[in-house]
Amino acid sequence: MVEVRLERVSKRFGRVVAVNEVSLVFEDGRFTVLLGPSGSGKSTLLYLIAGIYKPTSGRIFFGDRDVTELPPKERNVGLVFQNYALYPHMTVYDNIAFPLRLRGVPEPEIDSRVQEVAKLLRIEELLDRYPGQLSGGQQQRVALARALVKRPAVLLLDEPLSNLDALLRLSIRAELRKLQQSLGITAIHVTHDQAEAMSMADKIVVIDRGRVQQVGPPEEVYERPRNLFVATFIGSPPSNTLPGSVESDGGYPVVRVAGSTYRPGEEEARVVEEAGLDRVVVAFRPEHARLLEAPPDEGFDGLSLEGEVYLVEPLGKENIVTLTVAGLPVKTVTPPEQRPGPGEKLYIAVPRPRVMLFDPDTGLNLWSLAEQLAAARRPD
Amino acid sequence: MRPRLGPAGFFLIPALALILVFYVAPLILSVYISFTPLKNWNLDRYLGETSLDNYRALYSLMRFDPDFQKVLKTTVVFTTVTLAVNVLGGLGLALALYFMDERLSLPYRVLWLLPRMTPVAVYSLLWYYFFLGSPEGTLNSILMRLGVIDEPVQWGTDPRLLPEMAWAILVIVNGFVGVSFGMIVFYSALHNIPREQVIAARVDGASTLQLMRYVLIPQIRWHIVYVTVWQLLSLLTTFAHIFLLVEWGVVDRYWGQNLALYVFLKAFSGGESYQGLAAAAATILVVIGVVLGFIALRVMRFREMMVEPKGELG
Ligand SMILES: Nc1ncnc2c1ncn2[C@@H]1O[C@H](COP(=O)(O)OP(=O)(O)OP(=O)(O)O)[C@@H](O)[C@H]1O
Ligand SMILES: [Mg+2]
Repeated sequence: MVEVRLERVSKRFGRVVAVNEVSLVFEDGRFTVLLGPSGSGKSTLLYLIAGIYKPTSGRIFFGDRDVTELPPKERNVGLVFQNYALYPHMTVYDNIAFPLRLRGVPEPEIDSRVQEVAKLLRIEELLDRYPGQLSGGQQQRVALARALVKRPAVLLLDEPLSNLDALLRLSIRAELRKLQQSLGITAIHVTHDQAEAMSMADKIVVIDRGRVQQVGPPEEVYERPRNLFVATFIGSPPSNTLPGSVESDGGYPVVRVAGSTYRPGEEEARVVEEAGLDRVVVAFRPEHARLLEAPPDEGFDGLSLEGEVYLVEPLGKENIVTLTVAGLPVKTVTPPEQRPGPGEKLYIAVPRPRVMLFDPDTGLNLWSLAEQLAAARRPD
Repeated sequence: MRPRLGPAGFFLIPALALILVFYVAPLILSVYISFTPLKNWNLDRYLGETSLDNYRALYSLMRFDPDFQKVLKTTVVFTTVTLAVNVLGGLGLALALYFMDERLSLPYRVLWLLPRMTPVAVYSLLWYYFFLGSPEGTLNSILMRLGVIDEPVQWGTDPRLLPEMAWAILVIVNGFVGVSFGMIVFYSALHNIPREQVIAARVDGASTLQLMRYVLIPQIRWHIVYVTVWQLLSLLTTFAHIFLLVEWGVVDRYWGQNLALYVFLKAFSGGESYQGLAAAAATILVVIGVVLGFIALRVMRFREMMVEPKGELG
C-alpha cells in the first residue's frame, strides 16, 4: 500500500550508535525480513519507522511523504511485538477495538471491523476472554488483529514468533505470509532466526551492529554472501572458515589452506593480485561439502581437504559430521546412510563454485572487494 | 478432611507468635482497660471493676463538649483531605516520574523522600519556623516583604482563620510526608508494565493522558487500593507531627488535634490522666479503622481484582 524508504538514517543513544547510516527501500506490498543478531539494531530500526524514535540524522519516507518528523499516530503503522504487549486488563475485544476507539470511530463501525478481523484470524470465540486466559499462539493472533484492525499502510513485526513453540511457529509463519499476500500490505518482519527469514522473505536485509550488511532475495544472500558476517550468520550449521595464505604457482596465485592447495578461479585470482592480498579466508557451507573415503580424482575441480572425524550428530534426515582439519574444526552435512565413526580419516571435497574467498581485513567476499576497488578507481 | 498443620502453617508460626505478643495481646488489654475506670495509672485501685462508663462519657462529650467536637471534626477533615493529597499526589508524582528523563528522576525522588527521611522533630521544626506567628516566621516575612500583609499573622491560632488554616497546616505538614509512599509504590508498579504496551498505545495514537487513563492507571489499580487503605489506617492513628505542632503552639489546641492525639494526651499527659477513657477512644478508633478499611476494599471492588491462581493450590 505504501513504499517505505530510509535515507542515511542513524540513531544514537548517548554513545551507542544503534542504527548507522542505513539506506533502504521496503517495496510496496512486499514482505521484507530484517535479520541480525541480538543488539544489532533491528528493533530500533522498526521503532524509527513507527515513529517511536526520531532519527538522529537521515530521513524516512512513506511513498512520497516525508514522515521523519511525524508522530506515530500520523503514520498509520501496525506494530506486533515478541511479547504481544496485549493490555491485560482489557478483553480481547477491547484490545482489538482500542486503536479504533482512540481514533473516535463510531461504535457500530468498530464492532463490524473487530468482527471482520477476528474472523480473518479465526479468533471469534476468544473475544470475551482476557489475554491471561489465552495460549501464546492465540495471544499472537490477537496482537496481529489489533495491528490489522486499523488497516495500516505498513505492518511492522518485531520477532512475533520467537515465543512460540517450533511447530506452531512453522504454521503461523505460513499463515502470516498468506495473510500479508492477500492483504497486499507492506510488511517488515524482524527476526534473528535465519531459517525463518529464508522461508518467509521476498527480500532479506542482514544487519549487524547497526549497519546493513547485505540486501537481497533469500537465495542470493545464501549463495553469494557479501562478507564473512553474512556467510557465517546465515545457514545452519554456519559456513566453515579456514585461514589461507596466498602463494605463487608459476605466476598464478594459489591458496595454501589447512595443509592443501586450492587453485582459485581466474576472476578471483585477478582480484587477489589486484588487491595485493597475501592472506585470504576460505569458506564453504557444510551442506556443500562431500565426505570421501579416498582423495578425489585428479580431475576434481575444487577444494580438497584431509580430516579426522571428531563428532557425529545424527539428525534423522541427515548427519552433521565434525572433523578436525589441521587442528581446526570443520562441519559437514552428510546423508543419513553415511555415518562415519570418530577417528576415521576422510577427505572433504568442495566443488569450486561452492568455495568462497574473503579478504581477512575487510571481511569482504572477493567479488564485493572487486566492486569496491572498481568504485574507488572511478574518477568521480 | 481434617485440617492439618501443613508447611504453610509451619512457616507462619513465628509471624503469628509475634503478632500475638505485640499486637493481639495489647489490643485485648486495651479493650479491657476501656471498660475500667483506670486513672493516673493507679492499677491497684481501678482494675477489676468493669462498666460502660467510659463509652457513655465519650458519648456525652461528643454531644456536649465543644472542644471534643472540634477534635472529631478535625479528625474527619484532616484524614480525608490528607488521604486524597497522599494518594492523588503520589499518583501524580509517580506518573510525572514515569514520563521524566532518567537523569532528573533520581534527584526528584530524593527530594520527595526527604520529608520522610528527616527526623520528625527536625521536620516539624522547619514547619514551626515556617508558620511562626512573629514577623520572623518564614511565611510572614516573605508575605510582608512582598507587601501582601502588613502585620504578622498567627496562621494556626488566629480565631479569624480557624478552623481552616489550622487544618491546612496539618494537611500540608503530613501531606508531604505521605506522598512519597504512594509515589514509590506507584512508580515501581508503573515500571513493571511492559514498555511495549506503552509503545503499542503510542503507535495506535494514544495521547499521554489517554495512555494514563486507559493503559497505565487501570493496571496499577490494585496498588492504588493498597496505598489508599494503608494511608487511611496510618492517618487515623498518626499523631507525632501533630503533637509537636500543638505543643509548640503552631496550631490551635483543639482545631489542630485529631482523635489519635486526643487518646495520647488523655492517657499520658501530665496532671490528671484518664487511661480508661483514652482506651475507649482508642477502641473506637480501631473499630472505625477496620470498618473504613473494609468499606474501602469493597468500594474499590477488591474482589474483582483477585486473579484466579495460575495453578491449583492446596
Ligand atoms: N532506548 C535505548 N537507550 C539506550 N540504548 C538503546 C536503547 N534502545 C536500544 N539501545 C541499544 O541499541 C542497540 C540496538 O538495540 P536493539 O533493541 O535495536 O537491538 P535488536 O537488534 O532489536 O536486538 P534483539 O534481537 O535482542 O531484540 C543495543 O546496543 C541497545 O543496547
Ligand atoms: Mg529487538
